[in-house]
Amino acid sequence: MNLPVIPSGTPQVEPPPITKAIKMEVDGRPVECDARDNLIEAARRIGVHIPYFCYHPRLSVAGQCRMCLVETSESAGRLVPGCQVRAKEGLKVTTSSPAVRENQRGIMEFHLINHPVDCAICDQSGECKLQDYYMEYDHQATRIRTSKVQKPKREELGPVVVYDAERCIMCTRCVRFMDEIAREPQLAVVNRGDHSLIATFPGHPLDSTYSGNTVDICPVGALLNRDFRFTSRVWYLNKSPTVCTGCANGCNIWLESRGNVAYRELPRRNEEVNHVWMCDAGRATHHEVNEGRLEWPQAAGEALGAEVAVKRAADILKPLMGKPGVALYLSAQCTNEEAAVALLLGRELGISRVAIGGRPPGPGDDYLVREDKDPNRRGVEMAARAFGMEPGDLGDAKALVAMRADGLQAPPRLEVFVAIAPADVPGASVVLPCSHAYEQDGTFVNWYGRLQRLYRSVVAPRGDAVPGWVWARRILGALGFTHEVRDAGQAFALLAQRAPELAGKTFQGIPDEGVVLPSLLPAEWPARAPRPR
Amino acid sequence: MTESRVDSRQSTVDSQDPFAREAELPHSLVTINLGPSHPAMHGVVRLTVTLDGETIARAVPEIGFLHRGFEKSSENSTWHQVLPYTDRLNYVSPILNNVGYIMAVEKLCGVKDPPRSQYLRVVAGEISRICDHLTCIAAFGLELGAFTVFLYGVEARELLWDRISELTGARVTTSWTRIGGLASDAPPGWAEKVNECMPRVLELTDEIDALLTRNRIFIDRTRGIGVIGGDEALDWGFTGPCLRASGVNYDVRKAHPYLVYDKMDFEVPLGQRGDTHDRYWVRIQEIRQSARIIEQGLAALPPGPVIIDDWRYALPPKKEVYSSIEGVMAHFKHFMEGVKVPRGEAYGYTEGANGELGFHVISNGQGKPYRVHVRAPGFPILSALPRLIEGHMVADLIPIFDSINMIGGEVEQ
Repeated sequence: MNLPVIPSGTPQVEPPPITKAIKMEVDGRPVECDARDNLIEAARRIGVHIPYFCYHPRLSVAGQCRMCLVETSESAGRLVPGCQVRAKEGLKVTTSSPAVRENQRGIMEFHLINHPVDCAICDQSGECKLQDYYMEYDHQATRIRTSKVQKPKREELGPVVVYDAERCIMCTRCVRFMDEIAREPQLAVVNRGDHSLIATFPGHPLDSTYSGNTVDICPVGALLNRDFRFTSRVWYLNKSPTVCTGCANGCNIWLESRGNVAYRELPRRNEEVNHVWMCDAGRATHHEVNEGRLEWPQAAGEALGAEVAVKRAADILKPLMGKPGVALYLSAQCTNEEAAVALLLGRELGISRVAIGGRPPGPGDDYLVREDKDPNRRGVEMAARAFGMEPGDLGDAKALVAMRADGLQAPPRLEVFVAIAPADVPGASVVLPCSHAYEQDGTFVNWYGRLQRLYRSVVAPRGDAVPGWVWARRILGALGFTHEVRDAGQAFALLAQRAPELAGKTFQGIPDEGVVLPSLLPAEWPARAPRPR
Repeated sequence: MTESRVDSRQSTVDSQDPFAREAELPHSLVTINLGPSHPAMHGVVRLTVTLDGETIARAVPEIGFLHRGFEKSSENSTWHQVLPYTDRLNYVSPILNNVGYIMAVEKLCGVKDPPRSQYLRVVAGEISRICDHLTCIAAFGLELGAFTVFLYGVEARELLWDRISELTGARVTTSWTRIGGLASDAPPGWAEKVNECMPRVLELTDEIDALLTRNRIFIDRTRGIGVIGGDEALDWGFTGPCLRASGVNYDVRKAHPYLVYDKMDFEVPLGQRGDTHDRYWVRIQEIRQSARIIEQGLAALPPGPVIIDDWRYALPPKKEVYSSIEGVMAHFKHFMEGVKVPRGEAYGYTEGANGELGFHVISNGQGKPYRVHVRAPGFPILSALPRLIEGHMVADLIPIFDSINMIGGEVEQ
């Protein structure tokens, strides 16, 4: 029987490449690993899972939880922590001897002594390491007959994070994350023994822009995201890869949704973009999917059917074809596909004036947050150049076609205004509802020129909303043009044919981790920003 | 399907006799459908029967009208969620299916249920076996015109189904077993109730026996009909009463004893001729043997728990779930992800009411089966139906079909 091997724990990080190879043995099986590996990473290379709570491959070693204790040939009769001990040539590691199993069982029992009976009301249920390890390593009834220590249950550490001290197992991952990755030491362990808990410093809330990551790395339900809390059980959510729309960094994320409602973003590993982290602003972008949406086409406050709306847009644009004073507005929130078909529409209308706008810039930093709050400015600029249009301003245009209207200042003497946007656009003759980037297949180009795929993460439709390029194609069709753009791949191909940066690229051929467009690489880099290898 | 047959022989009969002339008229084979919606087609099976006059020239059974995709559905359910599907395999003796399936899973897990559970599984299983045999015989009698037999059979079965519903909460949708034991213990006084109703069940069985076994009409319609020899029955894959009617002594309870059958004193009744009458007679005898097992099982029923105390496989008690984190975690994992059955495969086989009931289960270590296959005893026997009825008169079809006791639920899965 050749059954698929499913390791008991999901690795957070793939093993890094081996630079200095050594050979050792784990549970009698030979392992080739790197000299810098600890025993947990060495065992992971052959699919052996050593359980741990406090260890995290990207954080310093704390040796706090004692769950990863194993036997080695160099420590007869004594258990050593797998997170702390380095791999060594010829070392023999035993991960499931009676002594190791007994320690794991005992450690689980210790961790659960003061743990409240909270699974039914805890957001972490279903993705909780305590639950997983309890069934795997303990699965025994409680022997504690004393009452549990009571601690604060809903401490709002900051705008994003709420802390339940009773659920906390004091692994200190969050403390180490704030010290070492966010570099804003805002958390600390206070008190001692079973009264210890995680706390902020007086008068200094946990307001780091990276505070949401402490929720992700918390192995239990102690740190929870206030935004997501009590909104959904995690096993109801569909997880889909996509790219964050919060800023130009283009952090890779998992978007979790159910039906047409998006619930949360979780960082997805990409060593060259965001490592395994993301910022708090990015975690809030899913609200744009759920709130303030335009669901049906509108003309002067009146809801229209899709076909009528397209016809009306075509009717008011047709007399303007080839005339001066018509402009195209592209928001840097557009996907490349939306920009491409909008530019195609603009060229068929005889437009020569293109403006690129977007959201106002905001604070940035030297790590993952860019000042440009639009995810695809580089891509939209590339698309405009590819269609032979140099972006400028709108001037005193009398007619305007806008693909998304973020940051649009309508010219004073505007007479005809067709907008394709996810939210209502005041003053527009016709507004066609465009789906959010999380609802589309497509591509973005991030601040340093990395082409990355978006997936249709929220699958259920919202009203008549479709990707903006679909509306642009429908208008083209109503005007009598017969460009074939049936899917995002064909829309991408329109751009790839024209843009020298995309020569030879196909939509299906874009790898999961994205691909760098070398001609777009910047000269200067923020100090800690992840770079292409 | 129709073939023309013209008798070209020179006429030798009296040409003045109109009836004799009629016999020489050219005639053709006639194809008729029996079922799928025919009261005598138990379950929903269709028989395409080609008749040569009143003789059955060919018969083609067609199944699929009751197909529910049991095996595929199981791959998308947790190990315990498969149990209600097993109720619907042989729906006349569901507890035997529950036991058969769960014993295959227990083989994979390497756990054994506590003694009290083993005894209760045997007792309830034998009650189910009696119900199954009674149903077969009652319908058999009904379809040959013996309505009294049907009423007696169903009265006895009702008594037993009442006991089953006291035990499991349902007459047929029992879902009663669990990995490592049972969902519930017998209620207080249940053994006494069973002991009280068994004499009446046996009395009714005796009445049926007296009405049918030596009945001239019944013998004429069953003796020497649908004969199959022991070797041939084995070749077809017969097991259970149909095989034993052909004289082959194979009963999983004796050949490979499981649960506590090795501690039970009972005999395996064997037929001599392998005909329809023997298949009926073996079932009557097996009812009496099962009654012996029930009596012994209840007498020896040990006290103690009915499910193991291993939270990897068995649910924690409700008190622990509500008051301890350990209990609530185990409960959560059981229901959200299912019991993690160790990787591997196992074939568990028990004596179902119609023969060897086998479950081939494969686990990849997750909470849901990787594959479940059921060896339904009725399937090979139904396959042999054409062999049994071809060449017989059309009136023999129903008795033969009754005697193999096809159960749509398990044959079509």
